[in-house]
Amino acid sequence: MLVAWRYRERRSIIQWFDPRAWMMFFISFILCLLMFWDVRYLAVFLLTALGVTFNSGITWRESRRAWLFIGGFVFFFAFLTFLTGRGGIEVYSKEHEITRLAASFTLFGWRPVVTVTWERIFFGLSQMARVFSLASMTIMIPYSLNPALYGIIFRGLGLPDKIAYAMDLTMRFIPTFGRDFQLTLDAQRARGYEVESLRGGLFQQVRRLAPLIVPVTIHAIIGSEDIIDAMDLRAFGVQPRTWLDQLHYRLRDRLLIAFAVLMFITCLLLSLFGYGKFWIPAGWIL
Amino acid sequence: MDRKLSSVIFALVGTLIFFLLIVWLGGMINPDLQLDETALLRFVFVILGMLIVFVVYWLTRTSQVWVVGTREVVYMAIGAALYAVFSYLFNGTVFVVPSVSQVALRPAIAIPMFFGYAFGPVVGFFTGAVGNMFGDALTGFGLSPQWSVGNGLIGMISGMVFLFKDKKKSMDTVLIISAVLAVLATAIFFVNRAVPNMLYFAPDEGIFGDQQISILAGLSAVVGFILVLAVRFLFSKNVDMAAAVTWGMLGNFIGLGFAAISDIWINGFPFGVAIVGEFLPSAGPNLIFAAILVPILVAAYAAVRRQSGR
Repeated sequence: MLVAWRYRERRSIIQWFDPRAWMMFFISFILCLLMFWDVRYLAVFLLTALGVTFNSGITWRESRRAWLFIGGFVFFFAFLTFLTGRGGIEVYSKEHEITRLAASFTLFGWRPVVTVTWERIFFGLSQMARVFSLASMTIMIPYSLNPALYGIIFRGLGLPDKIAYAMDLTMRFIPTFGRDFQLTLDAQRARGYEVESLRGGLFQQVRRLAPLIVPVTIHAIIGSEDIIDAMDLRAFGVQPRTWLDQLHYRLRDRLLIAFAVLMFITCLLLSLFGYGKFWIPAGWIL
Repeated sequence: MDRKLSSVIFALVGTLIFFLLIVWLGGMINPDLQLDETALLRFVFVILGMLIVFVVYWLTRTSQVWVVGTREVVYMAIGAALYAVFSYLFNGTVFVVPSVSQVALRPAIAIPMFFGYAFGPVVGFFTGAVGNMFGDALTGFGLSPQWSVGNGLIGMISGMVFLFKDKKKSMDTVLIISAVLAVLATAIFFVNRAVPNMLYFAPDEGIFGDQQISILAGLSAVVGFILVLAVRFLFSKNVDMAAAVTWGMLGNFIGLGFAAISDIWINGFPFGVAIVGEFLPSAGPNLIFAAILVPILVAAYAAVRRQSGR
């Protein structure tokens, strides 16, 4: 049985556009986002992402789990970045210390120390803005795009029929296999399997993952026979594919595509001219 | 050359030239331009990876392994979805799979290796590349498309065994190439002992990818190679099992090697850091999964085929 994403029709900015146009905007948004480390530039993307989120028509109740997971993940990694400065060495070379916080205790003679610098603070903020913008724009796709149109969207983006259909099926299978994994986990737990306490050496641990991975994989392969038969019966791949639903660009879709292209070119030029690099307010550094 | 194929290759070469031109022009416009701070090089390496795939395809295009029918389309989707789901579940945020002496475990990697071997290089490539992309999207990780191509190469190379008439002979060739690669990477580890293991995080111990690489992680490619060698000879009568494991190993070395080496330009890592800090801690432990989980999957799939007669 296929499990579907929580899609439904809503009063949504995403659904106001043709899904192909939205995907082009989404791709352009991500590419542009990756070009900058300046928190001021990233704030524009963050505000855009928040604007889209608040106008997506997706309720907190529907998407609570996804947001809590993404929020926790983003804050955790931004905090790690702030503590360690990891990743920052790729965008700045010098650090300006604000303060050094030392723990009042020692662990086997080692005293934990956190060095707070302007660079770490701004790099943490930049990373948070980047990842949150990317994640929030991505989260909304399964809630907003009609699963019946996945294949048509990918075909409309220029992928060959077979690849477009494979992408379509991939997106449909993900929630199903997530459910299958949970069922398998519950079944194995009922037999005494404890995934939370994988003990033993390296090889033992790897071997003990097999009762989870193998049944889900093999069950998926066995289940695929019905899908293959159904597709073969409908002569899949014999001739160029036709799609039941048709998508047509309207003026607003063309405008969104033009905006996406313009945004990408502008960001590319800004990036090549050296704008949008890692930034901290000059006056704040003593 | 087939019209469709030539148009794909021309499009890829054209895009590569376009990006390289931008890189070149960017340097002229702005002499201080640091390309590793832009996203451009990631896409240059994606196109390079795709070109490698197309060159391999073009050289062996007469083989039946490249034919994509209904079955392959469905297996591509199943492989990619499974890889995405397992990547999401085992990435350390949902299920914490403990690491041993800095050797972080990534069970999902068995999926592209198995799908590549069982269903061919096209299915393997799609499983690795698209599965990794969706897995990153589910987790909220940033976008590293060159690593997705690297994962795709793992699956593709695992399935290239079918290009050879004699599986046993092909395994010997693969073992020799893999031995050379494992020894080279380990030699680089001994020359760069102080490099941190950039893939090892243990927040409760205050380690965030900055601890010097451990001996076990540094030797993981050689340890993994020995393990694969053992499987190859222990299951010498079961050619399928042995071939899946050995070709999976080569896929790992080449796919992750491609991704790690691309980070020399993309992230500005020195060569030693890319190999010791990224390649060894990712490719080495994957071989443990190649040696343990892949044979179990191959055996289970063989049983299903016997039962269903397909």
